[in-house]
Amino acid sequence: MLSDLKISHSFRLFRKPLRLFRTFSFDRYFYASISTVLVLFLLWIFLTSTGIADELFLPGPVKVWESFLSVLTEGYQGSTLVVHVYTSLLRILISFMLACIVGIPLGILMGASKFARALLNPLIEFYRPLPPLGLYTLLVMWLGIGEESKLSLLFLAGLPGVIIATIQAVQDIDESYLRVARGLGASKRTILLNVYLPAAGPTILAGMRISLGFVYTVLVAAEIVAATAGIGWMIWDASKFLLSDVVIMGLIVLGLTGIALDLFMRMLGKLLMPWTRKSRFGTS
Amino acid sequence: MFLFSFKKFFALSTGFALAFGGLASSVSAAPKPKNITVGYLNLVNAQLVTKNLGLIQKYMPGVKIKYIKVGGGGDMLRAIAAKQVDFGGLGNPPTAIGVTKGLPIQGTMVLNMLGAVEAMVVRKSANIKTWNDLKGKTIAAPFGSTTHYLLLKALSDAGIKPSSMKILDLRPADIAAAWARGDIDAAWYWEPNLDKAVKDGGEIFITSGDMEKKGYPTWDVGVVMNSFAKKYPDYVVRFVKAECEGIDYWINNPIKTAKIIAKELSLSLPDATRMMKGTEMVPCKTQLTSRYIGKSGRIGGFADTLVETSKFLVSQKRLPKQLTRKNYEAFINPVWLEKAVK
Repeated sequence: MLSDLKISHSFRLFRKPLRLFRTFSFDRYFYASISTVLVLFLLWIFLTSTGIADELFLPGPVKVWESFLSVLTEGYQGSTLVVHVYTSLLRILISFMLACIVGIPLGILMGASKFARALLNPLIEFYRPLPPLGLYTLLVMWLGIGEESKLSLLFLAGLPGVIIATIQAVQDIDESYLRVARGLGASKRTILLNVYLPAAGPTILAGMRISLGFVYTVLVAAEIVAATAGIGWMIWDASKFLLSDVVIMGLIVLGLTGIALDLFMRMLGKLLMPWTRKSRFGTS
Repeated sequence: MFLFSFKKFFALSTGFALAFGGLASSVSAAPKPKNITVGYLNLVNAQLVTKNLGLIQKYMPGVKIKYIKVGGGGDMLRAIAAKQVDFGGLGNPPTAIGVTKGLPIQGTMVLNMLGAVEAMVVRKSANIKTWNDLKGKTIAAPFGSTTHYLLLKALSDAGIKPSSMKILDLRPADIAAAWARGDIDAAWYWEPNLDKAVKDGGEIFITSGDMEKKGYPTWDVGVVMNSFAKKYPDYVVRFVKAECEGIDYWINNPIKTAKIIAKELSLSLPDATRMMKGTEMVPCKTQLTSRYIGKSGRIGGFADTLVETSKFLVSQKRLPKQLTRKNYEAFINPVWLEKAVK
């Protein structure tokens, strides 16, 4: 029966890829989102063109667009925008993946075993609320000014979210699933792969998405110390020279990459866990 | 429904804008400020003396004085742009940036000329004897500061491309940490952190004072927010008077001053004494001569330094446009000094 379940999963996986694009469907919710963006954009134009906003703090869209083009083609302090984005995304993705690779198994372990939870919780609960800059000072002293300290900071920012969401997900699993699986003689491995992961998957994914957000929030902090490229460094450096057009452009680019990564994760979630909607809304 | 909610949103936002605008303009023009905020740079100069002796308080009885320590020029610019300080201090590169960007500030006085208090320290074991030896090495400097400016100036004078070495942007405290770990071979920055590197296997390669002799003076200038100067002109004069007294104290009581510096920066007395020698304090009367601030209508050499500095920053693409000497003359306002030394 368990193997039947597996087959049906992979079957769905191939049958329903088109549904993935539901995310982009042009319904009224989509228009609502678009109008928010539009209103903000119009407000921006209004504030800057009427001179209500000081150009020093809020340059107009044209200025920001120009700085986008100039950084794209000529670069900012030795690196083009593509290099800056690539450098930062590489840092983000490596550390985020590490956070997931470490965090998900740890979370499952801690969710399933009270003992493991007791053992590891103090550590995670202690460092989680620490301000990243304070932590970073120590990381720089321990690991130096190279990539190691930057990646560690991003990793540490992403880890707790993944772990906590995974613990929650595992604890929320309906006991009856486990009992049935055990009753049918499933091995521990089968239970892990075919009960824990599918049932906990959606919550873990939600935790991963939040974690990715945390990783983003410390990016600028991580690139303050001794970076020569990276979108966070570019923002930091430009702010020192009061180049607010570059700062705003950098923030927009950073935000867009974040949205793109989040969309990607949601699509991945739909692809790997097509049962999510059903179980959430209880239609089956 | 949609339109309705938009209307509501607009009503709300305009309401907010009006409320804030109203707040800003309804502040009454009292002749005496309730409190003032002084942003001071974390370095060795007479502002520490003024602070320690409470001189500003002496000249401004009944005004609450708040001091904010700022790490470097970049941070000070941000603090000024955000209107978090009334008085501040800036080195020449941040000043050029601030003036070009139209920050609402004016220069009031010379806080200090930068001598050996800023220097490039090199690791003895790295065997750096000439500028050429820096090729392939890792050098740190706080970007946008006086020392970053001097480093790049010195390199271009020596005909060495900055790209032939690794130049990193680190704040003074981070430089000290990176030096202790051995991550960098050289760094151009300032006391009190400079001392840590010198004591830890470093030696001075060149000082900012040496660069002044080559025609690249660097200094810190006191600035005041335009809005503050307009509202409380009398208090700008009082501030300058207090700082002038601090400078005179520094010049006339070196031993007592060293004790104050040692206390303010948690240094040993010999260290404080040595660091003091690296900072040149200019008596306020002298500041009015052509080498420094100059007089009303005849602004002195500081304007030239600012033109030079901005030329350099434009070539580095850190500044969008080159201002003229006239623009910088407009920034420097000797009126406060003239009134203060009378």
